[in-house]
Amino acid sequence: MKKKGMNVSAKQRVWGWIYLMPATLLIAVMSFYPIIQAVFTSLKTGSSAKMAWADPISYNYTRMFQDKLFLRSVGNTFLYLIVEVPIMLILAILLAQLLNNKDLKFRGFFRTCVFLPCATSLVSYSLIFKSLFATQGLLNSVLVHLGILQENYNFLGTAGSARVVIILALIWRWTGYNMVFFLAGLQNIEYSVYEAAKIDGASGWQTFWRITVPLLRPTIVMTAIMSINGTLQLFDESMNLTGGGPANATITMSHYIYNNSFGQGVANFGYASAMSFFVFILVAVLSLINMKVGDKRD
Amino acid sequence: MKRKVLSLILTTAMTAALLAGCGSSGGAAADGGDAGDSAAAQTEEAAPSSDDGAAAQEEGAAGGSHKLTAWAWDAGFNIPALQAAADDYKANVDPDFELEIVEQSQSEDIENAVTLAGSSGDYSTLPDIFLFQDHWIQRYVADYPDAFVDVADADVNWDDFSQEKLSYSTINGTHYGFPVDNGTVICAYRVDLLDQCGYTIDDLTGISWDDFIKIGQEVYDKTGKYLLSMDGDGNDLVYMMLQAEGVSQFKDGKPNIVNNEKLVEVVNKIIEMVQKNVLYLANDWNGYTNETIVGDMVAGVMNGNWIIPTIEQVAENSGKWEITSMPTLEGGEGYASNGGSSLYVSSNCQDPALAKAFLAYTFGGSTVTYDGALQNGGVITTCISAGKSDVYNQGVEYFNNTPIYADIVAMGANVPVVEQSDYHYTCRQYIAAAIINAINGADVMTELQAAEDQLNFEMGN
Repeated sequence: MKKKGMNVSAKQRVWGWIYLMPATLLIAVMSFYPIIQAVFTSLKTGSSAKMAWADPISYNYTRMFQDKLFLRSVGNTFLYLIVEVPIMLILAILLAQLLNNKDLKFRGFFRTCVFLPCATSLVSYSLIFKSLFATQGLLNSVLVHLGILQENYNFLGTAGSARVVIILALIWRWTGYNMVFFLAGLQNIEYSVYEAAKIDGASGWQTFWRITVPLLRPTIVMTAIMSINGTLQLFDESMNLTGGGPANATITMSHYIYNNSFGQGVANFGYASAMSFFVFILVAVLSLINMKVGDKRD
Repeated sequence: MKRKVLSLILTTAMTAALLAGCGSSGGAAADGGDAGDSAAAQTEEAAPSSDDGAAAQEEGAAGGSHKLTAWAWDAGFNIPALQAAADDYKANVDPDFELEIVEQSQSEDIENAVTLAGSSGDYSTLPDIFLFQDHWIQRYVADYPDAFVDVADADVNWDDFSQEKLSYSTINGTHYGFPVDNGTVICAYRVDLLDQCGYTIDDLTGISWDDFIKIGQEVYDKTGKYLLSMDGDGNDLVYMMLQAEGVSQFKDGKPNIVNNEKLVEVVNKIIEMVQKNVLYLANDWNGYTNETIVGDMVAGVMNGNWIIPTIEQVAENSGKWEITSMPTLEGGEGYASNGGSSLYVSSNCQDPALAKAFLAYTFGGSTVTYDGALQNGGVITTCISAGKSDVYNQGVEYFNNTPIYADIVAMGANVPVVEQSDYHYTCRQYIAAAIINAINGADVMTELQAAEDQLNFEMGN
């Protein structure tokens, strides 16, 4: 005799699907559908009121490699990436190591202090940095009064210093965020491992490099991927702190994409979508490399 | 148990936040719908009977409705002008007329709204009439032709306007807009500071830029103030100085930069001014207005006359300013125009006849409108006959009791018409970048060539 209805595991499976459905549908409609639409848009040109297929179809994709301004924005973004990410991650590990010390007094207070920048909004901290480094700003007044500078220096109006300011701002904003991940990673390392190392006569430096760093590897890979991903999509700082200036010396890819799609009177959505896919591919490739390099399980 | 209570509270809070978020947007949508309905209802219920027998009434009867919605920005400038026009039309033409002015926070909001409407193909979000920036309009009419209505048949004597102003809103020979304000460039100077250096305003009238630089150096040495400032990121100086020479940055629709002798000369003068502390380039627009002008760093300001309210923000300098025309390369008085906006009728307008009649009567040359616009908002007309009224000839206290408005209207009539381009602001941005790089030591011609290449690239040439 055949049993009517479903058995228990089939029932559970159905309910599993039902519970998954709302989220899946939302993601499909709100994320996947626009992504697919963006692929089509990236193959079109013309005013956003009457977009037509590009001729040749790859027009937007070949165009970006002849666009000096876009190439400069790629260069700027990679400069931030190469300079900022290593400094930030090393600082974050060191801070995590320091603040993980069981004997440290006011540990919670210091941890909060380091993490606090992450609680500020990207726009407001950018604007604060902008006013700090303005030609008539606080930093200039302090430096001039201390006699370090002869006259007010235009930090945000000079290409080199404007880039440095952006990197400083990024480090200030994101170090604490990464530190939290390292702290969590450190909690997972058994204290007995350190004790054993101490008994074997390892110095602090050796313990750090031989024990802490290898055991933190998954965390390092994760924070590196997140930082690379975040830096490649850097927007708020370029937009609000320097406005991409002076003379586009600090503009990032996302900012240039924004200018092309929502900048004044432009609405060049086709070209902007094509550039977005370029960023997408970059992020994917870099993350892949990172995972392959970081993954030591074989 | 405690955990359950906590999670319950959290869930409730999140649901409430979600509902509040959706609720407000839903409410807004409903409001929008209501507004649309009531506007439609009004159109329908309007009686076909003519209102009062005045001669100008044919347009009142045309569409039959009495209400228009307008979008504009700047509550201290454009909105009082629109209000003056609405009051004028109500008092003198149609007693039932009503203009609903919706304030936008900046000109970009209207541009974005047109872009959005055009991209989605749904123009029903646009109001009946809206204000639009002159330098952008050609590009938007080209990109979104369906958003605009041509107004060539409106009852306006177009010859009574500055032709330079009309050259923006006239596209392929068709009128699209009604001029509102006047972008005529003024050179405003602190006469008290000039006096300390032994100069008068006349010594700065009709001079060459070389003389200007000499005086500027002296002013900086003696008073520590720059004779000129500008936003280095969106440098309007090049456009203004070139227009005063009667030259454009474009020729036959293509950029004309490297082979444009006047442009190269102007750029070199700007660089020289910066190096000699005559000109201060701020990092951005806010730096220009707040740091240099309101921050009292300058002894002179050169820009479209809409900059006057910014100058007037420094109350303690009242009576110390006067205005004159621009210097030129060879010497002689220069005239240019920068910025400004015009009113356009949208394709979503329910009653285009009423919109055109209203705009033609008011901004088409009514002295009542323009006097009100000037008194309440400081908006100066480009309409030549309206600029001759008594209000225009009154002295302005802040500017040493000189009749600056009449002066500006007179100067505006001399502004040469130069070739306009959809890519005006793009060009401005690239040349500004070239200037900044050149000041920092790069070769001027290489930088200008790069600017021209990038502009050609963007324009698809």
